[in-house]
Amino acid sequence: MARRYDSRTTIFSPEGRLYQIEYAMEAISHAGTVLGVLAKDGVVLAAEKKVTGKLLDLAGAKEGGYGGSGEKIFLLNSNVIGGVAGLTADANSLINYARTAAQKHLLTYNDDIPVEVLAQRLCDMKQGYTQFGGLRPFGVSLLYAGYDPHYQFQLYHSDPSGNYSGWKATCIGANNGTAQSLLKQEYKDDIEIKDAISLVLRVMSKTMDSTTLGSEKLEFAVLTLDPETKAPKAKIYRPAEIDALLQSEGLKKDEDAEMKPAQ
Amino acid sequence: MSRSYDRALTVFSPDGHLFQVEYALEAVRKGTCAVGVRGKDVVVLGVEKKSILQLQDPRTVRKVVMLDDHICLAFAGLTADGRVLIDKARVECQSHRLTVEDPVTVEYITRHIAGIQQRYTQSGGVRPFGISTLLVGFDPHDSKPRLYQTEPSGIYSAWKANAIGRSSKTVREFLEKNHKDDLSREEAIKLTVKSLLEVVQTGAKNIEISVMESYGKITHLDLAQIEGIVSDIEREKEAEAERKRSRLAATAAGQAAMATRAGDAASGTS
Amino acid sequence: METSFAITGKGYVIVAADTTAARSIVKMKTDEDKIKALGPHLLMAYSGEPGDTVQFAEYVERNIRLYQIRHHYSLRPSAAASWVRRSLAESLRSRHPYSVNLLLGGYDEASDEPKLYWIDYLGTMTEVPFGAHGYGSYFALSLLDRCVKKYLVISGALICHSRYHNPDATLEEGIETLKRCIDEVAKRLIVSPSKYKVKIVDKDGVREIEL
Repeated sequence: MARRYDSRTTIFSPEGRLYQIEYAMEAISHAGTVLGVLAKDGVVLAAEKKVTGKLLDLAGAKEGGYGGSGEKIFLLNSNVIGGVAGLTADANSLINYARTAAQKHLLTYNDDIPVEVLAQRLCDMKQGYTQFGGLRPFGVSLLYAGYDPHYQFQLYHSDPSGNYSGWKATCIGANNGTAQSLLKQEYKDDIEIKDAISLVLRVMSKTMDSTTLGSEKLEFAVLTLDPETKAPKAKIYRPAEIDALLQSEGLKKDEDAEMKPAQ
Repeated sequence: MSRSYDRALTVFSPDGHLFQVEYALEAVRKGTCAVGVRGKDVVVLGVEKKSILQLQDPRTVRKVVMLDDHICLAFAGLTADGRVLIDKARVECQSHRLTVEDPVTVEYITRHIAGIQQRYTQSGGVRPFGISTLLVGFDPHDSKPRLYQTEPSGIYSAWKANAIGRSSKTVREFLEKNHKDDLSREEAIKLTVKSLLEVVQTGAKNIEISVMESYGKITHLDLAQIEGIVSDIEREKEAEAERKRSRLAATAAGQAAMATRAGDAASGTS
Repeated sequence: METSFAITGKGYVIVAADTTAARSIVKMKTDEDKIKALGPHLLMAYSGEPGDTVQFAEYVERNIRLYQIRHHYSLRPSAAASWVRRSLAESLRSRHPYSVNLLLGGYDEASDEPKLYWIDYLGTMTEVPFGAHGYGSYFALSLLDRCVKKYLVISGALICHSRYHNPDATLEEGIETLKRCIDEVAKRLIVSPSKYKVKIVDKDGVREIEL
């Protein structure tokens, strides 16, 4: 009888809780970490890839993929990048929705979608999946890193309930508690993008479970303003660039002999 | 088997309950507290504000929102549900202006919100909204402050003062004891803060106060102002306690004196 | 006949429209306001089929206001203009299209620039330094094309990159230019409007002025 309110669709339990949402969040807390840090002149996103394997064909990711390296970090619009943690299939459909929403906004207003508006659009959809019959919530949390002229650089987090909030630095997925407290200690207001990049990488290297740290485990992206055009410029790093970056930060940890099996 | 009555979305149980609606109210009771107090020509909305985490952006945490120039709303319960319902209400406010050229009355928009909430207790395959709302405002061409409440069931009602959310029962009882008709602006604000302090232990930094004084005139008090009011209240409370203590001491002293005198008298006779 | 003008200058847009409400050859009244403030920094002058104009303007007004309440900030003038253009373009392809011509003037707080958009009932939109609709436009546009020459004399400005209208004119100079347009229309147009309403939008917001 304990399972009366926690199966099938989303309904209230006698204590007024929505178990389906809580379980969805539970699923996310095991997913690969995504970390975002807001700087004065940009935003940084990094994500831990969990899907690894010796025979995995990473050719697509090597090329940079279509608007992203494929698994965790995506270009949502020319001014927003998104990082996902949770069910990959759910995430793919949300990414698609976000991109469509951004383009619809562009079509209607001839202007890039403001970051918060995009986050809100996704959250309204996520909320719908917690209220209407026969549906389960999306098992995905997202970080949105973006720029718009109203509030400049921004970082938002949204969860399966359809809540969202703005952050200076935050983290979703596995070990988010550890990462969060590390960020709390080390984050300074008015941090510059260069320091934000190294902060993100340092925290990532500490929170990731694996003994190796390289492009096969990490995705990385930065959003800044183009110094010439003043337009937002998203850069999703290619594997070689990530390795080079880790090398320069002195954080690259190579596999000793054999690649450890994925956890 | 009772399970089929509270498991499928909202249907009556044999003893006439709509369990999903009652459970939605539980979700409201988990939400942060919101208080509305109506004065003579002012209406005050106070909310308990969760502490903002160190790295969070305070701009994105909104408990009191505007529906239109002349109406404010606060809610308790599931935030995402709140956002969606508020959006529907905002659309209705503008749509109403477009069709009849007049702004909505507070009662009209309350009824509209309650109507949406009711639909979600009866339509197929949906769960109710897990929020209660407090609406404050002024009707166009009118100087009477208004305060309304809606619930997940779709009930709506007008109030002189009321509370929703966490410990709302305690706060409501406090308001019942302390509310008087025709409160002035300062008195209404003070009563709101006082009643919130019944549930908010951390004081001014977790309280947000919005005051509406006339059609479209809203002010949000800043932290320093709220701190001022809180310390006023604390001082009063202390003075009250002091008076009580001294009164107690006085009675005790009186009794003691009487006892000694009685003792003296007794010894005098001997 | 219906006439509306708009002129940009240094940090402002002036929008003017006649105040005549006419039916057939009859003036019904001469104090109709055909310029709506759509937001704290946005003005829209509308002309065209009577009835359509007001209906469409109110529809735009409410939608722009809704955006502002929802997002806690106003649409930028360029975004608002694009939205309005799209609404007209969609209406044109519906069973009952609106027949409305618009001048949308605003002050963009993000880039600190005045912006002016000329939109017609076919959904044509273009950003312009000055614009006009109605019969008055036939007289005013040529004048605005040349008025920089006058400025060279009046203000003694030595350098001007534009051969036409002066985007750096002060508000006073802008108002003078507008007066010249109105005078020209009064002089040459057979059925010229008797009165105009003039509104200004700049960094301080929207206000009405008397000529």
